Amino acid sequence: MNLSLLWPLIRREWRHHPWRHAVALLAVALGVALAWSVHLINRSALSEFSAAVRAANGEPDLALRAAAGGGFDDAVFDRVAADPTVEHASPVLELDTYAQAPGGGRVALRVIGVDALRVAALAPALLPRAADGEDRLAFLDPEAAFPNAAARARLGLADGGTIALQSGPAWQRLRVAGTVAAGGLPLVVLDLAGAQQHFGALGRLTRIDLRLAPGTDTAQLLARLALPPGVVAVAADEATQRVSQLSRAYRVNLTVLALVALFVGAFLVFSVVALSVAQRTPGFALLGVLGMTAAERRRLVLQEGALIGVAGSALGLLLGAGMAAGALRLLAGDLGGGYFPGITPRLQWDAAGLAGFALLGTASALVGGWWPARQAAAIAPAQALKGLGSIDGSAPPAWPGLALLAAGTAAAFAPPIAGLPLAAYAAVAALLFGGVALVPAVVHALLHAWPPPRGALALLAVQRARFARRTATAAVAGVVASLALSVALTVMVASFRDGVSRWLDSVLPADLYARSAGSSAAGEQAWLPPGFAAQAAGVDGVQRVSASRTRSLPLAPGRPNVVLIAREIADPAAALPLLEAPRPRSTLRDGEVAVWVSEAMVSLYGAAPGTTITLPLGEVRATARVLGVWRDYARQFGTVAIADGDYRRLTGDERLNDLALWLAPGTDLAAVQAALRALLPDPAMLEFASSRELREISLRIFDRSFAVTYYLQAVAIVIGLVGIAASLSAQVLARRKEFGLLAHLGLTRRQVVAVVAGEGAAWVAAGTVVGLLLGLAVAMVLVFVVNPQSFHWTMELVLPAGRLAALCAAVLAAGTLTAAFSARRASGGAAVQSVKEDW
Amino acid sequence: MLHVEGLARQYGPTPVFAGVSLTLARGEFVALLGESGVGKSTLLNCIAGLDRPDAGRIVVAGREVATLSDDDGARLRREHLGFVFQAFHVLPHLTVAENVGLPLRLLGQPDDRRVQAVLDAVGLAGLDARWPAQLSGGQLQRVAIARAVVHRPGLILADEPTGNLDPATAERVLSVLQAQAHEAGAACLLVTHSAAAAARADRVLRLTPTGVRPVDRHDA
Repeated sequence: MNLSLLWPLIRREWRHHPWRHAVALLAVALGVALAWSVHLINRSALSEFSAAVRAANGEPDLALRAAAGGGFDDAVFDRVAADPTVEHASPVLELDTYAQAPGGGRVALRVIGVDALRVAALAPALLPRAADGEDRLAFLDPEAAFPNAAARARLGLADGGTIALQSGPAWQRLRVAGTVAAGGLPLVVLDLAGAQQHFGALGRLTRIDLRLAPGTDTAQLLARLALPPGVVAVAADEATQRVSQLSRAYRVNLTVLALVALFVGAFLVFSVVALSVAQRTPGFALLGVLGMTAAERRRLVLQEGALIGVAGSALGLLLGAGMAAGALRLLAGDLGGGYFPGITPRLQWDAAGLAGFALLGTASALVGGWWPARQAAAIAPAQALKGLGSIDGSAPPAWPGLALLAAGTAAAFAPPIAGLPLAAYAAVAALLFGGVALVPAVVHALLHAWPPPRGALALLAVQRARFARRTATAAVAGVVASLALSVALTVMVASFRDGVSRWLDSVLPADLYARSAGSSAAGEQAWLPPGFAAQAAGVDGVQRVSASRTRSLPLAPGRPNVVLIAREIADPAAALPLLEAPRPRSTLRDGEVAVWVSEAMVSLYGAAPGTTITLPLGEVRATARVLGVWRDYARQFGTVAIADGDYRRLTGDERLNDLALWLAPGTDLAAVQAALRALLPDPAMLEFASSRELREISLRIFDRSFAVTYYLQAVAIVIGLVGIAASLSAQVLARRKEFGLLAHLGLTRRQVVAVVAGEGAAWVAAGTVVGLLLGLAVAMVLVFVVNPQSFHWTMELVLPAGRLAALCAAVLAAGTLTAAFSARRASGGAAVQSVKEDW
Repeated sequence: MLHVEGLARQYGPTPVFAGVSLTLARGEFVALLGESGVGKSTLLNCIAGLDRPDAGRIVVAGREVATLSDDDGARLRREHLGFVFQAFHVLPHLTVAENVGLPLRLLGQPDDRRVQAVLDAVGLAGLDARWPAQLSGGQLQRVAIARAVVHRPGLILADEPTGNLDPATAERVLSVLQAQAHEAGAACLLVTHSAAAAARADRVLRLTPTGVRPVDRHDA
């Protein structure tokens, strides 16, 4: 029998129950839409960000970069450019700083000093274009600046006007002499010599971009060049890789969460199709008698699932593209992680992704329809026509579920793959599928152990449950899957939020915080003078000041920079949120300095307590011994804390970036801020936040980052409840004649409703217990494995008992009420008539 | 045991029957004939309190059915009525013994010995642990009859109980019902199209749109 013959049957079923199928279709559509939009948004944002990075970096064959902040001697350039295999070489000084905004305040931007005569071959987007009226050689003028379109827009710049760039605690005022084509974030191009002069980097470079002759052996070239210690060679796509690396774990986590919605959608398809099959059992039986084979019945149901999948996927892809376009316009591609600031990406299409998500949506619906299709195939036509069903007393096999649970547990202990918790995700999937697969065996064991009750109502309920074990299993499995997901997400978010909240308490002990720059990179230019801390301590109301210097260190090519914090660390246990007691300084060997590192340093660089790491501090490469590990939820890619005295001794760098201020009780915060700002040439050079504000901002960012998980929880619960409703309705509808008979035998309608509600409550309660336990197991994998492997930080497991109890109670109540409601409808006059039909 | 007087029922503007009056005493085995669609099943439903007549009165076991609440109607059916259907309506998830014993359990009087005795009486001894799906049609109908009589109801309403059975099995089922009336003293109203079944009744009635009239059982 081909599809054209089956199609009228499918069409009639859909026409009879349009809403039911629409809900299943919508569930698939939502799952596909969420996954597709997350994919599109991330792809668009990454692509735009990478394009901006490429515009600023050009497209060289090879780049020689400073291994540490502060750059390297520009004498290296002459040697490199002279090599016969180097066709083009472009020297660059690149730094982050601020420009003075028109209405006060500052705008972060990148300054790129280039040799305009050399840059065109490697990074044409950075080639200065002189404005009308400017000298043709204005790009050689050290006082001329060439901002890109983003900088012009943000700063309201016009040709011939002035741009003020921060260099230390002072503004460098330059003439706007034209523009550059580079898109993306605000940047300004200067002549290399001018940049070196204005930013205290005379004779320094941060990068040399190279175009090599075809066939050049890079290894041989590097051997010939014998680069000094402060210079490293990086591949052409290193910068793009670094951008990708920066957000990769977050993107993968979001995608996995989005796929979870699809998984839950598959459950809804399962519930709806199972309900439809249960309702059509007599029809299938009749078709069987008329000659439709079991395989054809299976194919018919699978085709219904496939149709839901195809239609849902198509709708989901449209919806997802719309959601992505909206999100890119409203959120500028930042889904809460803050990895792509300041860009407004355009939607980037991806044909392979489109096909992949369409297939995924269809496959999820087919998986959802697989079990009901088997049920339809297994119908014994003669028995079903008599309404007698078939007896299946055999125990369902427990080994598939147990094997999946065992595999999930084993995978939870596996290390990350390619820096991602792929094994842990597999563990979560195996635990979920294993738990659900174990439900039939658990249900069977429970019922087997329960002797037949004496009371009529209890007997009817228990024996019915035994008889309809598979249907009950379907309802319970839906509860288990949706509740497990919700519990896992609730526990994970609660644990993380609690951890962040407690961490904020420990890292924000002062009353007021001041900083010179919003990032460690910008801190190289936007800094406070050495005596500023002492001056701040003299301000009325200030009782104590703790100053710190923050800078960015490149520890490994292709990886985001590590943050170095030099601060007062007399007592490490008091100064840092250490995970365990620190090693004493007496364990240091000659020539070593003490450092305390964040957890990310341990997982990314193996910097466990007792080991040593090399810190590239400009020309100096210091050997530092790790004396302790601390928790840092603010920086994902590693932080090193060093005592300010040690830092100054090693580098001679007296600059400061941050101040923590303890104030006398009753001190006016605004007055202190005004007094501190007055110590600088421009009040905009200092940003303030109270500990309360920082705490609120941090938790707000946290909540925004996890907004998608709240949405998923809601989706999981709603779909779970719809699944319960569909499964229980299926059972109840299949029992209409039974209710009619019971009415003839003298059962009141209330008693019938009580039997069914009791059955529903018992099943949902069993599902709730299994779902809760499974959810806690999945939460442990998320908290103890996925988070550390994704973001390199740990947290403690927090069980929000109230919220979990409310979640379970809501599911239990909704399941019981649904069963009662369904039974009430099914036990009305129609039930009596269903018996009469056969008279 | 059963007194029906001036009963009328119509579905919307279409009358089904009117002026139906009949009486059944304990121990009487009465057959009710009638064309298809004349309202035989509707009459049984009205007697059981599962359908509301438009006119007339029904008294079962001394109680006026129309005045009973839903709960009281259920209680009346539980205590005084036994049903046998053409399509058996045996619950597939209960064993034979559990199906037969269900009315006793509903009355709060589970009695395994009584169940065994009734199963013996209908010729199903030894099949008590079987599932309905393991029985033949004739056996299923005997389970239904056993269930209808196990709690010793005063009135048995049997609607085409032999309609799906072969003549030999039908004969056996009718014997059980007849014995229940004559030996246990129940009133039994048998709706049937079968002349053979009607021939075994003490009285034969024919339902028409205008009422019930007696028929000679040899003319049925």
